[in-house]
Amino acid sequence: MKEKLDILLQEGKDRILAAKTEVQLQEVKAFLLGKKGSLTELMKELPKLSPEDRRSMGQAVNKAKNELTALVDSHREALLLKSAEIPADFDCTVPGILPPGGALHPITQMCYDLNDAFRSMGFEIFQGDDITSELSAFDTLNFPPAHPARESMDTYWLAGHDQGEANEKLCLRPHLTGESVRYMQTHKPPYRFVYPGRVYRNETTDARHERAFFQYEALIVDKDLPFTAGKVMIKSILSKVFGRDVPVRMRAGFFPFVEPGFEIDMGCLVCGGKGCSVCKHVGWIEIMPGGTPHPNVLRAAGLDPDEYTGFYVNIGLDRLVMMRYGVDDVRLFHSTDLRFLSQFR
Amino acid sequence: MKLSLNWIKKYVPLPEDMDLNQLAYDLTMSTVEVEGTENLADQFKNIVVGVIEEVLPHPNADKLRICKTNLGGGEIQNIVCGGSNLYAGEKVAVSRPGAMVRWHGEGEPVKIGITKLRGVESYGMICASSEIGLFDLFPFTEEATILDLSAFDAPAGTNLADALDLNDMILEIDNKSMTNRPDLWGHYGIARELAALYDLPLKKIEPFVPDQVLPVLPIEIKDTQRCPRYMGTKLEHLYVKAAPFEMQTMLWRVGLRPINALVDITNYVMLATGQPTHAFDSDVIKDHIVVRRACEGEKLLLLNDKELILCEDDLVIADVESPIGLAGVMGGAKDSILPTTANVILEVANFQAPPIRRTALRYDNRTEAATRYEKAIDPERCQQALSLSISLFRELYPEVEITAASDTYPEKLKCAEIDVSLNWLERRLGKRIPNEVISSKMSAMGYTVTFDGDNMHVVVPSWRSTGDVAIKADIMEEVARMFGYENFEAASITTTFDSAINQLEVDIERKAKEYLAFRCGMQEIFTYPWMSDEYVNAILQSTEGLLELAAPPSPTERYIRSSLLPNLCKAVTVNLRYYKEFSLFETALAIKDSDYTTPYYPNEALPSQRRNLAGAFVGSPDDVTTLFRKAKGVLEHMPRFTHMEGFTFKKEEKPVWADDVVWLNVFIGDAPAGNLALLSKKAAMDCGIKNSAVMLFELDMDSFKPFTSRTNQFVHLAEYPMTDYDISLLFDSAITWAEIQKTALGCRGQNANLQDVAFIEEYKGKHVPDGKKSVTLRLVIGSANKTLKTEEIEACVAVVVKKLTKNLNAETR
Repeated sequence: MKEKLDILLQEGKDRILAAKTEVQLQEVKAFLLGKKGSLTELMKELPKLSPEDRRSMGQAVNKAKNELTALVDSHREALLLKSAEIPADFDCTVPGILPPGGALHPITQMCYDLNDAFRSMGFEIFQGDDITSELSAFDTLNFPPAHPARESMDTYWLAGHDQGEANEKLCLRPHLTGESVRYMQTHKPPYRFVYPGRVYRNETTDARHERAFFQYEALIVDKDLPFTAGKVMIKSILSKVFGRDVPVRMRAGFFPFVEPGFEIDMGCLVCGGKGCSVCKHVGWIEIMPGGTPHPNVLRAAGLDPDEYTGFYVNIGLDRLVMMRYGVDDVRLFHSTDLRFLSQFR
Repeated sequence: MKLSLNWIKKYVPLPEDMDLNQLAYDLTMSTVEVEGTENLADQFKNIVVGVIEEVLPHPNADKLRICKTNLGGGEIQNIVCGGSNLYAGEKVAVSRPGAMVRWHGEGEPVKIGITKLRGVESYGMICASSEIGLFDLFPFTEEATILDLSAFDAPAGTNLADALDLNDMILEIDNKSMTNRPDLWGHYGIARELAALYDLPLKKIEPFVPDQVLPVLPIEIKDTQRCPRYMGTKLEHLYVKAAPFEMQTMLWRVGLRPINALVDITNYVMLATGQPTHAFDSDVIKDHIVVRRACEGEKLLLLNDKELILCEDDLVIADVESPIGLAGVMGGAKDSILPTTANVILEVANFQAPPIRRTALRYDNRTEAATRYEKAIDPERCQQALSLSISLFRELYPEVEITAASDTYPEKLKCAEIDVSLNWLERRLGKRIPNEVISSKMSAMGYTVTFDGDNMHVVVPSWRSTGDVAIKADIMEEVARMFGYENFEAASITTTFDSAINQLEVDIERKAKEYLAFRCGMQEIFTYPWMSDEYVNAILQSTEGLLELAAPPSPTERYIRSSLLPNLCKAVTVNLRYYKEFSLFETALAIKDSDYTTPYYPNEALPSQRRNLAGAFVGSPDDVTTLFRKAKGVLEHMPRFTHMEGFTFKKEEKPVWADDVVWLNVFIGDAPAGNLALLSKKAAMDCGIKNSAVMLFELDMDSFKPFTSRTNQFVHLAEYPMTDYDISLLFDSAITWAEIQKTALGCRGQNANLQDVAFIEEYKGKHVPDGKKSVTLRLVIGSANKTLKTEEIEACVAVVVKKLTKNLNAETR
């Protein structure tokens, strides 16, 4: 019986170590230690032995049983570790998987960036409507009666609403500035608000011209605000868009709804102001018009221009987005083409 | 507009070493935008005067000659030339290797090199005037005429710019930047700005005083509103000849073609003063000049040979018989300067601006004169223009005799007068500028300024009094720009804090858009506010209630959108070329020719404009259920993610474009908020969409009801486990999920352990009999008080199955 046990122990150890999977190991364990396992069978022979042999054999069998059980456990652990092991040739260069998700239009993204900047400075956001009247688009903004912008070669008038008095003539809004008066009429001063939106001009389109384009205007109105407060607004816009301080200059410009009016230039980011083809070799790029609201505009809004003054800026979002990303055709913004739009996430 | 620096220097003594770039910068910052600067001499680099010493035949070509040409400094070169007017001793323009020329005056400039022409080496090129950009100064009619410079006193080797005295700098001004400044449309006006900028004196143009009292030249002005001033001067003993070369080049360098001395004088005066003038051949004028409105249908042949049929809005210069010129725009053919002209009437007149603009636009004839008149020139300037004209006539025609003159100017221009408080000025500028500085800059620009305590009284010069400068803010601008905008530091914006900004209606739109883009994987698009007829017909199927553009971008794009869906479907078609499955959304206004309101002015009625949100989901037509569930899921969950009142779905009115079966109306409370539906097969075909299913939704965002705060509710975590128990049952196809769920949830009365009933899937096809469907539902079972035993869970399931079997004829599979 002693020999039998020795053989069983040796064979058992070999078979345990030979098991390659947990299932195999389980089978081996059952074969050796199960209810009908070999060791169990062997133990059934114990009563046949003499009491002395029985005791020594009993101890030997128990020892063997413990040994085998321990080996099964340790081998199981080894197998587990081994099964979790990643093959050495795992390829870490395979590409990741794009998380599902669409995107906002690049113009919306820019608009929201600016909204965030202006909100942080206490500006409200105002949205006007597409259809407006000649009264709001031109008269309240101090455009003289015969101003060329009023003509149908510039502005989209609505059929059946293109004759008569200014308050009766309707058009797709040709600029945002009229919205400023609408806001002021319905709110109490002082004002600081932005009004992003789309405007429409009857134009021939090409890579630089569109019939529908996006503007972003900001207006601040308060008592005795020096015109140079406008510089703070301009700097805020540009540093938000370009992520760093951008040199800015204000120079003489003329628009009916401002007095004084400015053309606002920023230092060319391509050449750093040295002059290049992008900035037509002057080192500056015209980026937005601005100025102090004309007294007639403030009057139209119900304010006393001797008491109140302010500063406008009007920025072309299309152009800004084009500069931000290097987009070379303004018509892409209305193309609805996913190949274009999905690039901006 | 082009300006010559030399011409400007006739009126203001700019330093000789003036840096042109600095000048351009200063003008741009303070007055007008200088778009570009050009050194005129640059185009004549490497072009020199050569003297032909000998003209030799070319051994291999009949039409070519070899010219031994003296290029100065003892340099003699052989130049091959095909010119027809070559002779020994002739002075010619030689393009040395490196010069840029246009072959035969056409195409882009090319660089000249040393080349062999028919086997003979040629050192550069003897040029025709057209090849070096000088055709307008040296016109020729016969081909192969080379430029003969023998009349010029310049030795061989002289650079051409020196020989012709063309060393000048040209400034290109952006016309748009001075539409409000009628005073700047001539060299004198810009000189005045520079004088003020640099504190330099401005030269006066001496007024013309006739030697004797002249007979009155009769001029009849029938519309003095349209023609506030007319100065007519009769000049005799003139004849047509070329203007002096210097005057010709002055015109040429700023872009005008010299014609003859009589015409050139008028152009020169306009470019100098900004005041157009016109010379008529007085011998063809019947009796006297009449300034009047045109008669309807009256004809006028212009000097460019275009015949116009006039209307009553046009102002004409006429004699007693017929019109002889379109006032302020262009002269007529009848009285134009001809080679035989000996006597002229010089017109220096002022015309009202807006009608001139209308007339010029009407006949598409925006001449230099019209461009200036439409800016509103002041009538006082006529005097200056006349003085300069007379002095030029006398200089060019010493024999000229002024035989009659008249000045019809019934209502003298009133110069604007403005009072400005110095305190106000300081507050608006953010800076106190000393009175002396203001005074000196303002008077340099022609203002008369007097101070009295806090008040500054400003008399505006006539040339700024036609609307340009009229209010305090204009004076503030004048002071600021002359002081230099760069000399004002940015002022900080001060604020008083009342409350934080809280704009729910603005924020809800952004939340909805970000939800659709970031969470639902949709792409935002923008489309035009007008729709293509094709998509209007396919989707709206009617044009009733649509607004129309008077002058649309194209004849098939005239309707303004009342719904975002037509353009959205167009975007689907565009993208189906490259993608099979995608989803798009847009926010925009839906505009209807109805429900007019007056939100701002009582007399300003605006049509209904509602902010809409529309989306499209495109996928395979084989699995409409999934596409439908995707689209519906986006709407179902939107209120939760954007924090607003929820949507409900009902079938009340099928949208015309929708499939007969797959459609829902969306409501917020009881109010309709939009639609969600599958695009019908027919509508899809009409849109050109084949082999794709399109789920569309359109919601009225103005009806959204945002919550004032987030609304998620905290629920205590279950203390005891919940079990998900899935069962599949067979139902009649007509039984809806809503019915099944309602019935199953109805068991909660009988068995409180049933917590929820959820949809897992629906299946038809193999192993499911016709007219039936298999629905898998998930029962969520659990108790708040204990862990349920298997028997208790199964008891709950049994209750549900029994009820579904009894009420909805469900069968277990």
